[in-house]
Amino acid sequence: MPSQRFSEPVACPAGGWAVEVHGLSKRFGDLAAVDDVDLLVPRGSAFGYLGPNGAGKTTLIRVLLGLTRADSGTTSLLGLPVPGQRARALARVGAIVDEPRFHGHLSGRENLKILAAARGGDAEKQIGPALDRTGLTQRADDKVAAYSMGMRQRLGLSACLLADPQLLILDEPMNGLDPAGMREMRDMLRGLAAEGRTVVLSSHLLDEVERTCDQVAIVDHGRVVRQGPIHELTEGTGVAVEVQCSDPAAAARALGEPATGTRVAVGEEGLTVTLAGGPAREQTAELNRRLVEAGISVYGLRQAHASLEDWFLSMTSRFGADQ
Amino acid sequence: MTPHSLTAGRGLSWLPPVPLIRAKLLELRKRRTLMIVIVAFTVGLPVIFYGVRLLYHLGDPARYAPAGAPDAFATAGTLMGEFGFIAAAALGVTAGTADLTEGMFRHLVITGRSRLALYLARIPAGLSILLSLAAAGFAVTCLVTAFLGTPDTASAVTVTVGDMVRSGLWLELYLLTGFVVGLGLGSLMGQRTVPVVLLVVLEIIITPVLADHPLPFFLNGERLVVGVAMDQLKPAALAGGTTVGPSGGLVHLPPMPTWAMISVIAGWIVGWSVIGAWRMATRDA
Repeated sequence: MPSQRFSEPVACPAGGWAVEVHGLSKRFGDLAAVDDVDLLVPRGSAFGYLGPNGAGKTTLIRVLLGLTRADSGTTSLLGLPVPGQRARALARVGAIVDEPRFHGHLSGRENLKILAAARGGDAEKQIGPALDRTGLTQRADDKVAAYSMGMRQRLGLSACLLADPQLLILDEPMNGLDPAGMREMRDMLRGLAAEGRTVVLSSHLLDEVERTCDQVAIVDHGRVVRQGPIHELTEGTGVAVEVQCSDPAAAARALGEPATGTRVAVGEEGLTVTLAGGPAREQTAELNRRLVEAGISVYGLRQAHASLEDWFLSMTSRFGADQ
Repeated sequence: MTPHSLTAGRGLSWLPPVPLIRAKLLELRKRRTLMIVIVAFTVGLPVIFYGVRLLYHLGDPARYAPAGAPDAFATAGTLMGEFGFIAAAALGVTAGTADLTEGMFRHLVITGRSRLALYLARIPAGLSILLSLAAAGFAVTCLVTAFLGTPDTASAVTVTVGDMVRSGLWLELYLLTGFVVGLGLGSLMGQRTVPVVLLVVLEIIITPVLADHPLPFFLNGERLVVGVAMDQLKPAALAGGTTVGPSGGLVHLPPMPTWAMISVIAGWIVGWSVIGAWRMATRDA
């Protein structure tokens, strides 16, 4: 499947684009880590950048932030071209890339002082509020070497907040967090998005993206496969039908090879069939007819919208089939 | 907070602001082990050296000259130069690599601050530690020489205030060179151990060998080694009074003209600064 391109101009949202990428490519030798990517992130959105490990998510973020150079393509952050006006663009951007690491021999507060000094302006005044917001005030004067992974993630988020950011780019911020920490981080990100800041959340955790974001881009093998609002993408591409029946395994066999884009999952009490795009009513009736003809007792059929996970797996399986 | 307030003061974007230099100074001086080594090599060394000399002299004044005798001044100054160079190189390498190896480089680049400014901030931060400690250590040497010494009547050699000033400046220049070379080499290699080992080998093996044994058929190429040039520039008071070079330095090689010494030293300082800054500016974060 080719990278999703915007062959026609996409209407610019009222607030403009927080991130605008066109034709971006970055290769490491023969490997295309980022392959001709177009990406548009509306201002004020919570945007998920979703893909399996090794899909090229971190490389794209590193290019966006000017940490490494692209081979081709154009990028802009908050309307300012990068790397052309990198300093101005990054003045209102906060980012965590990979695992956040700091000087271990310094305290969290001292590390933030260094970053505030590099930012300049009023950033030093933001240290206290940033620590308060991330719940680190009590441990701010402890050495970072004694911090847990979750605390380092929170310190990374504190560093982002020094910029009073209009745009936050967070690469796998849930990594290493326990369930409580994940919930705290999710709530913090939602709170930041609710304030009108743009949050770009790069993750391989479908569930987290679905819970936190309203828009998403799916990336695989360095290409953006699809992007848009989550509800539009999942509604437009498939419907999950939960089938309660006498013999789920036999039912799965009776359905035979599913059409491209559908997926059959067998559970204890039945099976879930994710339909391909198209008229769901007719496909559900056809599904029922085939099961009855195969001698399987059907106790119930229930339509449900496909989750982001179903949709993601259908997209990547199609992608795999095309290879 | 407006975007302007965040980027204010970045007009000369390559120039590190004072708060950034102060922040780097904080980062360096909080490295306890490194600071102990540097204090030991700059201040501890003359204190121990003169303490031992003092005890010897007190124990047997007829056999051992006063602690502040001119030969002790030369020995202390030379030792401070040798060990101080190693301490300076270690500090420079640490300043050049710590952000990278400890994961802060990426955070710093994301602030949008010029990479050149980030690099240049390390120089005044490191030198403010190093040169002040070296000055304190050398002050001990001068005080002992001034108050606990007597002129060597046999050779009529004495250490004047002018000698002390020249020796102090030479020592500071030597350490400054060690720091800048360490900073550049560390930034180039991106790791700490190998550059430190290379600079220790340069200082304690390569430089003394080349200073004593000129390379045959090499067009006096050994003079391009910074330690050899520094050795030639060494003031007479530190050279123990046996001077032959145009600057009065102790040399085993044919003397270098002063402009050549200055050129070699300046070349090392500027060259390694440019190499380090270039690597900093082009490195993937």
